[in-house]
Amino acid sequence: MSSRRSRTRQSTSRISDDQINDLVSRLQQLLPEIRNRRSDKVSASKVLQETCSYIRSLHREVDDLSDRLSELLENTDSTQATIIRSLLSQ
Amino acid sequence: MSASQQLTPTNPNSALKIRLAYRFLLTLNTLNAKKPPNFDHTQIHRRSHRVKIAAYASMASVVGPKRAWSRAILWKIRNRGMLARNKKRIHRISTPIRLHRHHARRRRNPNRVVHVDPFVNSGLEVKLRKLVPGAETIDPCGLLDETADYIKYLATQVEVMRNLVDLYSTI
Repeated sequence: MSSRRSRTRQSTSRISDDQINDLVSRLQQLLPEIRNRRSDKVSASKVLQETCSYIRSLHREVDDLSDRLSELLENTDSTQATIIRSLLSQ
Repeated sequence: MSASQQLTPTNPNSALKIRLAYRFLLTLNTLNAKKPPNFDHTQIHRRSHRVKIAAYASMASVVGPKRAWSRAILWKIRNRGMLARNKKRIHRISTPIRLHRHHARRRRNPNRVVHVDPFVNSGLEVKLRKLVPGAETIDPCGLLDETADYIKYLATQVEVMRNLVDLYSTI
């Protein structure tokens, strides 16, 4: 039984630890807080926790920004071409 | 621009911003052209909901069907009428996943069972699968990849919207 288990574990080690560490460090680079803290040793679970809270805060921000944007859009009607132009020239 | 804005010196990021901004403004314009402005209180909520949908739709269309999260978003938006009608009968999460799970089962090699677990605490994995659209049936490594991609696009979209709000509010 244990030999069977070790055999399956060997065949699935294609998804190696290095690959996982790679992915976790990629995520770490995207998170704003951890990136600014400049510490190399951040545990994977901390990265995932930060990821979850970051995604939630991004969702909240999208909601908030779309509220404000819809309010502003109904007030300003024209001059959208100038807005687009100035935005794209940044 | 605000001082809290992070420096984005890399060119691909600003090119991505421009693509997202262009698509978003396009979607907003078609949105504005449809309905006449209405100052009713319920209409305000509905308008902001439409802007939110436009944001997610434009973000997912820029990526196209390449990613599981963009496919899930586009599917959800295109079928939101049907989903809203079936909300009471069928659990909302399971409906789009039903198709996706069937598709994934056909493709996947049955021997390829993932034993290496990056999620030491599996509660985090469940939370992440709920937050990232279309991530309920992906293997854990693909999940991390999808999450990174989703965060990148979502953060850029938020930046685009922030810039737009700044622009509109100074006019």
